[in-house]
Formats: sequence, C-alpha cells, structure tokens
Amino acid sequence: MTGGADVWKGYLLAWEDDFTLVQSPFTCEGIRVFGADSDHTTLAIAAMQHRLSIGPAIDLISLPDGVNEQIFNMATGVLVANDESYDGCEWDLMVGDDATVAMLKRNTDIELPLIDTHVEVDAEFHSALCNAWEKEMKEIHVSQGAYVSSAQYTEGAVARMTLSGQQFGDLVVWPPRQLNDEGQREDGRISLALRGVVSSWTKLSAAGAPSEFSLRAPLLGGITTVLLDLDDGPKGVFLMVDDEENDVSIGDSIDLVVRRIYAQEGMIRYGLRGRTV
Amino acid sequence: MVDVAVVGAGQTKYGNHPLGLKGMWAEAALAAFDSVDGDFSPTQIDEAFIGSIAFGGSQLGNTAALLTEHSAMDGVPVRRVENACASSGFAFRDAWMAIKSGQADVVVAGGIEKMNDLTPERKRFWLGVSGDTEWERLAGLTFPGTYALMARRHFHEYGSTHDDLVNISVKNHAHGALNPLAHIQKEVSFEKAAGGFMVADPLTLYDCCPTSDGASCVILAADHVVKKFTDTPVWVRGSGAASDRLALHDRPSITRLKATTEASKRAYQQSGFTQHNIDLAEVHDCFTIAELIATEDLGFAQRGEGGLFAREGRGRLNQGDVTINSSGGLKSKGHPLGATGTGQVVEVFKQLRSQVSNGRQVRDAETALTHNVGGSGATCAVHVFGRERE
Repeated sequence: MTGGADVWKGYLLAWEDDFTLVQSPFTCEGIRVFGADSDHTTLAIAAMQHRLSIGPAIDLISLPDGVNEQIFNMATGVLVANDESYDGCEWDLMVGDDATVAMLKRNTDIELPLIDTHVEVDAEFHSALCNAWEKEMKEIHVSQGAYVSSAQYTEGAVARMTLSGQQFGDLVVWPPRQLNDEGQREDGRISLALRGVVSSWTKLSAAGAPSEFSLRAPLLGGITTVLLDLDDGPKGVFLMVDDEENDVSIGDSIDLVVRRIYAQEGMIRYGLRGRTV
Repeated sequence: MVDVAVVGAGQTKYGNHPLGLKGMWAEAALAAFDSVDGDFSPTQIDEAFIGSIAFGGSQLGNTAALLTEHSAMDGVPVRRVENACASSGFAFRDAWMAIKSGQADVVVAGGIEKMNDLTPERKRFWLGVSGDTEWERLAGLTFPGTYALMARRHFHEYGSTHDDLVNISVKNHAHGALNPLAHIQKEVSFEKAAGGFMVADPLTLYDCCPTSDGASCVILAADHVVKKFTDTPVWVRGSGAASDRLALHDRPSITRLKATTEASKRAYQQSGFTQHNIDLAEVHDCFTIAELIATEDLGFAQRGEGGLFAREGRGRLNQGDVTINSSGGLKSKGHPLGATGTGQVVEVFKQLRSQVSNGRQVRDAETALTHNVGGSGATCAVHVFGRERE
C-alpha cells in the first residue's frame, strides 16, 4: 500500500491507494472553512490533480452537487459521469458540510483519517468575505468598463487553468493566439509546468483594483499580481492567492493553483493563482 | 508631396468641466477657430477626425457626428478615432495623412473625453479598459497595475528608484502650476509626492495622472492654403506611428515600449531632426514611470538612464537640453483620454509661436515633439514640429 500526508496546492492532503482526502487548512470556531478564494470545486480539482500526478490515470468520476462539473473537467481533463456512465465509474467524489472533499474508490471500505492541522481565522473577517462572495454572485453586481463575458471566459478556460500552450515548431506560446507571427496555425498543444519565476509584481490597493474585486479587495487589503517567466518559456500575469502571505520578490519561484478569481452574472470565474514555493 | 501645417489650436480647461460632451467640444472648437490669425470659417473644413474612447458609455455610436453638429461643422465628413489614450494622436495623424494624400486641404483633428460625470462606482469604468481584457483583467490588472509592473522591473534592471519618479511628478506639477488650463494647478513638494497614498505598489497617487474632462481641437492645412490663415504656421515635420502586443506578458521587455521607439524613429527620420534638435517634448506621462521610460525610448536619455535624467532635472523648463512637458503633462495638466494627443499639439502650437505666458514659455523654441501612447504601449503616435517648413 502507498499513501501519505502532505500540503498540496495550499490544502491539507491525505491519501492512500483507494482515497484522496483534501481539506482547507482554515477553521473558524471549530469548523473547517474555505480560504478567501477556495470552494469545493477548487478542492476537488486539487484532489484529482494529486491523484493524476501519482497515477494511474483516471478517465471518469462522479461528482456531487456543489462541484462545478464543467470547470472540474476543463481543469483536470477527467470526464464527469452522467446518468448513463455512472455505473461504469470507479471513483466517486464526496463533499463534506465543511471545507473538505474526498475522492473514494468505489466499493471499498474506507475510514478517512482525521487531519488535526488547522489555522484559525477571524470570524468577523471570514463572515465578511463570505458575504462579499454572496453579493458578487448576484446578477446585480456588474463590472464597470472592460468586461469578460461568460462565453469569452469559457473559450479560454482550459488554457487558463491548465496552462495549455501552443506549439509552433520549437516555439511554445501561451496564452493561445489565433495565428503566430508568420501567420501559421498551431502545430499542437502542450501542457506547461504550473510554475514560474517572478519577473515583476505589484500590490493594487482597493482603489486601484478592477471593479470585479471592489467587494473583496478592501477586506483583503488589496490584491497582489505577479508577472511570471513560466518555467517552460512564455510569460503570464496571475493573481496571488488571497489566503496566504504574499510578500513576493523578483526572482521568487511561484506555483500556480486553481482558485476562484471573481464572480459575475452568477458565474464564478476560476483560474490559476500564484503561491510562493 | 504637399507639406502640412497647424494653423489653429485650442482646448478647454482640463479637470472637472461643468459642461457636457457637446458643450466641451464646442468650446474647444471655438478656441481653435479663434486662434487662426486670418479669416477662418468652419465651412472651409474638408474632413474631421475626433478621438475618444467611450465618454463613459454615454454615447457609444456616431459620437463624432454629434459633436460636429454642435460646432458649426455640420455636414463635414467625420469619424471617431479610437486607439485608447492615443486616440487623438492618431486622429491627428489621420488628418495629416488626409492632406498628404491630396484629398483634403483643411482638416480638423481633435479629441474629447467626459470622465467625471459618473458615480464613484461607475467611475471605475475607466480603470483598465484598454488592456488585454481577457487575460490582464482576470489577473486583477488595471493601468496603475501594469505600469507598476513596468516600474518595479525598471528599478530591478537599471537601479532606478521611486525617488526618480517623484522628481518627475514634482517637475510636472511645477510646470502645470503655471498653466491656467491645467487640471491640477499647484506645485507639489518632494516630500509630499514621496509619501503619497499607495495605489499600485510602487506607484503612489502622485505617480498617477488625474481623471479629467477635456476637449482639444487642432486645424491642419495644406501648404498651398496656409497663407490664407497665418504667417506663422507650425509645420508638421514628421509623423510616426506604431503598435505592439497589447498585453505586457506578450512583450519581450516591459522596460521599453517598442511602439514608441518605432514611431519616434519614423518621425525623426521624416523630419530630418534627431532627439538632439528637439527643444520641447510633450510626453505621455499617464504615470511617472511612463515619462521615465519615454525619455529613454525617445532618445533623450540613454537606455537605463531615465532615472538619472529625472534626478538631474534635465527635463525642467529651460534648464536642460529639452523641456519635457512644459504644459504639466498628463500628471498635472490632466488626462482626458481621447483629448490628450491633440491637447499636446495645442501646447506645442503655442510654444512654437511664442504665445505662452506666466513664465512657461520655452526659450528660443524652434522644434517640438509630441508623444501619445495608447494603453500600456500597444499604440503610439509621435509627431515632430518645427517653426520652419524645411
């Protein structure tokens, strides 16, 4: 049997051959709660990414309510079971009432371990953030000025969450573009490593941040953005995660993890955010 | 080929303007008409190009026709030109090209933006509307953010410092304090500018231009009709424009703007001048780091020495080889996005005709340059002007 416990993508992880348990590290008044930019979908994606990293491959999984099937599929490449394919599924994903998800191999008798590690968060701060997300999800909260429609977001979501880069001969391009400088279409796709080095960074105050962040940025004391030289070549700009210290410097190594970015028109936009290694 | 000159130029005061779109434009147009020395009638205008971004969304379509209708230019073929903050820099270039092509003799180029008639929340409309929205917006970036990334990288690569940016802010406020049309007509001390509220680290409030209303209007004429209007035209000696990748992450370097270097190279070449001939330059300082980088890209400072250039005060009025932003620049004069490019031409027109008062006149000014940038550098128009035709 193989297994272990670790910190993975900013979450607490325990796993063996027949399960993967992922929990938020944060608690509030004894209950495990999500960090500022996490939810069951981001935990579920992290769980599957770990399982895929250790193999063997998983092609199909059943998901419960509360996990965004489309985002999960785009971020992991794993199909989500429907009514017809459910019986052929070997893995089920379960979510807890708290900030916990577990991937379980079907038809096995599993006793999930208890993870004691936790960081207590301020109840007032946590409540304010939850309220901000709730308001952000409402249709009446609309951005001002430039705007990414749900269709435009969805078109680029796979590239956004998996760093799916384009190959033009020896050249790797990300984010994807329609034609390269010679007017050619891409030769194929390649998944880039979710890691880079800080080329520059800034912390935007609430006053300087886009309106999409106007409800949460004041609570968070601003938002931090990095320009990364990705390990596989291209550059990209990314927000840092909101629930960890973000004292970055040029030259720092950064891991990229899937988190919530903002919500608009009742739809959460997920994407990659940076964590200092 | 025909030569082109500016024969009239005017603008509104920048800032929180009491009038709306139509009133502001009419005010700028009248100021331009009145500035023509000889007899001038709007009926002589063959074409018009008006730059703007969006008027806060209040008039998204057919804006240019609405404006000409209210400024005695009814019936003139007109269109809106949109290239973000470089909109009227490109409107000016389009006007120049219309005359160069032989299709028009008298052309109006102008720009306008109404930015302050929105609620505080709606005013966020203006933050970052001209970047690579799909990728930069979801990384939390607005223009303060993109220019902050450029500043920090410049500090890292070349050892420039925030104090260098403060010097630019202090200089431009000193110039703007003398400009009755400036949005912020007051000097700022080094200490105050250095300790400003942080907007996007390392850029503080004093590194950022204000949100301004304003309109500007310029009249261009072909050489064979110039005499009808004035004996002291300002000749357009060179016009250069270029574009670059929209997003910072798609550019090889973020400490230089390729669009500026390319546009200025073309404008210098066409004019027969080099940077050493320029007496004054109206430079696009939407953020202080933008002016620092522009002084390098335009050749006034060696690469990496824009900070030193600022520290030594080499762009101060009548104190160095070239006066940078005698008007106060975007930082102090203000930045009504679509109006900025032709607003720069208004300053140059007055300076080269020795019509500037309040001790703001650049001594012995013979040649000038305008530098108008769209967004974080995706578009740029550079123009070189001279008192002499050749």
